[in-house]
Amino acid sequence: MKLSFPLLFSLLPILSAAPTLDKAKTFGNPDAPITIELFSDFQCPSCRMLHITLLPSIMRDYVLPGKAYLVYKEYPLPQHNHSREAAAYACAAARVGKYEQVADALFQNQPAWAENGKVFETVSTALTPAEQKKVQALARDPGILDEVQQDVQQGQSQGVNQTPTMLIIHGTKRYPVAGVPNYSLLRSILDGLAK
Amino acid sequence: MQSKTRHFISLLLRLILGVVFGYAAYTKLSQPWALFAISVDAYHILPEWAVTVVARGLPWLELALAVLIVLGPWRRTTSVAASTLLLVFFGMMVRAYLRGEQIDCGCFGPGEAISPLTLVRDGALLAVSGFLTWDAFQHSRRPARSFQSQYSSY
Repeated sequence: MKLSFPLLFSLLPILSAAPTLDKAKTFGNPDAPITIELFSDFQCPSCRMLHITLLPSIMRDYVLPGKAYLVYKEYPLPQHNHSREAAAYACAAARVGKYEQVADALFQNQPAWAENGKVFETVSTALTPAEQKKVQALARDPGILDEVQQDVQQGQSQGVNQTPTMLIIHGTKRYPVAGVPNYSLLRSILDGLAK
Repeated sequence: MQSKTRHFISLLLRLILGVVFGYAAYTKLSQPWALFAISVDAYHILPEWAVTVVARGLPWLELALAVLIVLGPWRRTTSVAASTLLLVFFGMMVRAYLRGEQIDCGCFGPGEAISPLTLVRDGALLAVSGFLTWDAFQHSRRPARSFQSQYSSY
């Protein structure tokens, strides 16, 4: 028992340095054998394709049955002029428990807002009037902008260099899967790791 | 080029190419095979069954080539095989790059997108392999039978 306090004290800097996980941007069982960190950009067409075609299957086969824990990460690319704004709105929406709905609205209507820049108008379709006000204010909060930047920096430190990238984490091992993979091949990896 | 210098350069390049092939094999074999299969599939060239065959078999071929290139037996065969393989890789990468496909190179495991840098690197490896092929045919020719030995039976 004597050792426990100094040990805990020595761990404090590590614990405080660990990235905070916004629960509204995570899905499934945190104790699942596999964690999938999905780095995506709301303005990237491949991310849209992954979100619309592949993610529902991953959710159905792995996240909902508790085999995988899904964590959304923002990775707005500099060449997309509205993607950082979209990421900020999505993170703000996470604070009111509406991340998934806003992400769906952004990806579904991506061609339109990417062209006309009406990001908030798209976001607002997934929110009530009260939530719209809150999200609009939160999106300008330095804390939210910081959260987006932290995701980007985390991705960069883990070698993410394109979107979408899924980091499949199993124990201490990390396997990056870039692009929109063939689902049967992705299943081979996930089934092998989930055993 | 003096024989000694040429021999030294050839040995050095064989070592480099062998280590590169060995490392490429190691990075693929130390990860689930389907991870490399996803990289191969991203090129959209092969049908799914062929992707599986390549993903499971290519790392072992790379490992065998690494050993043979370094040890040096059947130099003509191994250098032609290595050059052919590198030419196919390089061609696929150039094709993907020119088509604007933002995909993983798949050269040394996942997480490395095709870029001018990866093209230069693979181009350089192809040049090295090409030199070794030329060297194998130019300088490791079987000694021709001497006139005397050819006609001694007559």
